[in-house]
Amino acid sequence: MKDNHYFIAGDILSNSVIAVISGLVCHWVFGPGWPMFPAMILGMLLAMIISTILGLAVFMRYFGAMEIMVPTMTSAMLAGMFVAMSRTMTTLETVDHALISLIIGLLVMVIVWLVNLQLQGEQIDNRGEH
Amino acid sequence: MDTVTKEKWDKAALSFDAMTGIGPERRWAPAKKELFANMQTGKILFLAAGTGQDFRFFPPGHDIIAIDISSEMLKRAAPRAQVYEGNIQLLETDVHDLPFAEDEFDQIFTSCTFCSVPEPIKGLAALHKILKPGGEIFMFEHTGSRVFPFNMMLNLMTPLSSRFGPEMNRDTVTNVEKAGFTLSSVNNIYLDVVKTICARKAGG
Repeated sequence: MKDNHYFIAGDILSNSVIAVISGLVCHWVFGPGWPMFPAMILGMLLAMIISTILGLAVFMRYFGAMEIMVPTMTSAMLAGMFVAMSRTMTTLETVDHALISLIIGLLVMVIVWLVNLQLQGEQIDNRGEH
Repeated sequence: MDTVTKEKWDKAALSFDAMTGIGPERRWAPAKKELFANMQTGKILFLAAGTGQDFRFFPPGHDIIAIDISSEMLKRAAPRAQVYEGNIQLLETDVHDLPFAEDEFDQIFTSCTFCSVPEPIKGLAALHKILKPGGEIFMFEHTGSRVFPFNMMLNLMTPLSSRFGPEMNRDTVTNVEKAGFTLSSVNNIYLDVVKTICARKAGG
């Protein structure tokens, strides 16, 4: 597998898995009895911890350095926050929250790719002046 | 020598290759090769040597002094230095306390170094001092981001990451200028976080 394909697959896998696991944990932790805002905040923090553990233990080693945890942590925090909020307001099933988390993870990854296309490249180039 | 930093990296050396040898080194290899292709004849300083994973990206035939604060890192770097088709001399030293003369080096290369140096401007100023007038510093570094929410993520990660390794939110480009260098180029490799920086010492 070419390196760029390997890392594209890695980005897809790491964002998907981390978002889904964060979403599922939040689905099991939170429920209809929780107040919405505290649940959202706690869901986000819980997801941040999950993404850090998974990132450091598994995905960073195979798919990139700590910088790669920037999108995965964003995916996890958004998925965790959304699922925690959803649990206080809706009766969505586990599979629904897993799918929503997966979509959040993939969406964040695509947005980060697009932002990366904008940010990549020469920012300062004064080499011709010397 | 900064013994706290030395002990931190001595500990990190035990798992360093396992943590960074597969994904990170492979992901950033093209950018590192391109940066190190700037090596020219003359006296070259490389920091931080780490376990020597970057040596394979060096173009052959150069005479390089590679330094690191950690003796455990350098132990692991030694076999990699031996297979380099040129000369790499390993030296355990602290960037804040360099045993080199003023204006001694023609070029300086760094790789993921100034995320970890405790006093980055002071460290960069020390490099500025030992670089010949007109000499260049070439850096592969990860830095903080100016873009929300990436800057927030990196700020959140830093209290944890700095316990066992680097700080994730350093403004290294600004630090290079504060240390007295003139920026030649800044090239973003991944977002505005992973980048190569080239800067020059005035004169020459």
